[in-house]
Amino acid sequence: MSILAIDTSTQVSSVAVVSDGKLAAELTMQAKLTHSETLLPHIEEVLGMANQKKEELEGIAVSLGPGSFTGLRIGLATAKAMAYALQLPIVGVPTLRALAWHFPVEGFQLLPMIDAQKGNVYVERYMWEHGKLLKKTEVQVLPVEEVIRRTEELPGTVVLMGDVISKRIEGKQTLPMHVMLAPLHLRMPRAANVALCGLELLKEGKTGNVMDMEPVYIRRSEAEVLWEKRHGKAI
Amino acid sequence: MSKGDMQDCLTLAIESSCDETSAAVLRGGREILSNIISTQIPVHQKFGGVVPEIASRKHIVNIMPVIDEALREAKVKLSDIGQVAVTYGPGLVGALLVGVSAAKALAFSLDVPLIGVNHLEGHIFANFLSAPELEPPFVALVVSGGHTALVRVKGYHEFELMGQTRDDAAGEAFDKIARVMGLPYPGGPEIDRLAKEGNPDAIDFPRALEEKGNYEFSFSGLKSAVLNYLNSMQQKGEEIHRADVAASFQKAVIEVLAEKALEAVGETGMDKLVLAGGVAANSSLEERLRTACEEKGIRFYFPSKALCTDNAAMIGCRGYYQALAGDGSDFYLNAVPNLGLRSISAKE
Repeated sequence: MSILAIDTSTQVSSVAVVSDGKLAAELTMQAKLTHSETLLPHIEEVLGMANQKKEELEGIAVSLGPGSFTGLRIGLATAKAMAYALQLPIVGVPTLRALAWHFPVEGFQLLPMIDAQKGNVYVERYMWEHGKLLKKTEVQVLPVEEVIRRTEELPGTVVLMGDVISKRIEGKQTLPMHVMLAPLHLRMPRAANVALCGLELLKEGKTGNVMDMEPVYIRRSEAEVLWEKRHGKAI
Repeated sequence: MSKGDMQDCLTLAIESSCDETSAAVLRGGREILSNIISTQIPVHQKFGGVVPEIASRKHIVNIMPVIDEALREAKVKLSDIGQVAVTYGPGLVGALLVGVSAAKALAFSLDVPLIGVNHLEGHIFANFLSAPELEPPFVALVVSGGHTALVRVKGYHEFELMGQTRDDAAGEAFDKIARVMGLPYPGGPEIDRLAKEGNPDAIDFPRALEEKGNYEFSFSGLKSAVLNYLNSMQQKGEEIHRADVAASFQKAVIEVLAEKALEAVGETGMDKLVLAGGVAANSSLEERLRTACEEKGIRFYFPSKALCTDNAAMIGCRGYYQALAGDGSDFYLNAVPNLGLRSISAKE
């Protein structure tokens, strides 16, 4: 099984090819370049490095969000059009779930977080049990301080990961003793994780449909929120 | 590809710069096999204008169904497509990026050339689709929501920008005034409709940059004058004849556009004037230009209603002629939200 995976949910641009049980190639960059320019050249590069013909791919996995709205749409538009043209199954991978693949360790409380702007983060809680990744808490939008406060009630080692760590936690917040920050190489979304998580979803038959797939935004547009405030009713 | 091969080449074109998601298939440069347009106007009406984030969210859902329908209606297979053309600007950046990303992925997957197209040039080229006999050279008056310009089209890939707006585009003035008058979005057609019931000479609104040989436009002064007029009438508690305001405002815009366009045709010694852009759908502008052109023996062209709105067929047409001139894009193509019209010399 050969799968191409894409993650453009944050400032990191990551593309990977996993083929026959090997991570054949991965290109992960955080160099302030725009996804819109570099994503397709990166895909071309990674397929070349992996010696993987695009016509022989068997699936595409794409990080669905939450994350940067524009980044998610660049990744999804690219993945959808490739899946359509190459007639490949497509699978949308929840971004926070893919992050939790950084630590496939039983007993850890995994808290992947992505910046939700305005001081908030998107956060979920995961644990690995008997080789399975289980979601313990559904997505929430919380202030970063509140997430840290809630870690005090969690037993065992807590691992924080995601783009919020470097931006707003490391060196800026005091953490309880049992809370650790993911090291740099396991902190940000990576396409290898998206590929592994995507392969599982593919095996379970959880494929998406290019005709109606949408990113996972969680938050609505500002305009809709303001409209409802002003009109005092649902849009 | 030789010119002969190009005549049968199928172009898949994509347009997502504002509030329409569109895909088209063209055979050669001028034969439209399909031109699917999915409009979001009803979605944005509530907000009185296009909301960029909502537009982007609609585009990402609509893009593949629209492409799929364009291929089905054209009765061609994706593997028959010879090139992919896409609008890369001007427009809303998030909206443009959906089309650009999909187009890049399609061109890459199919191993065919990618052609980034300027939306405004696309509007000019819509006329080639409406009028099969039309050929350069001619003068084009481009009037859209974001742009107002006069372009001397010397060849299919040779343009001279004669002048453009210094501030607001004509379409912007239409939208703003419609909004203040409480007309629904999009405001242009509403003012056009209302103006038909009003007296265009009721109020004397100012016209800017009227000196001969000046092909620049300015509509911000006119816009302010109309807004001030509405304000002061309201303060005085006097009744506003909305139809008269619409008609007088519209006349001021149209007169400036028509006078400058006809002068440009005269100065360049050309015998053809082409109207392009969303505001080309304004019936009074079209009538005024048609009458003036008839008097002076100038042939006047404007796109059919369907081709005046944002559509992918015009992008495909422009893309076809770019491909003939060897003007394609690589996979680093990015959206350029403030892309303008520029002169292109024959050698480029």
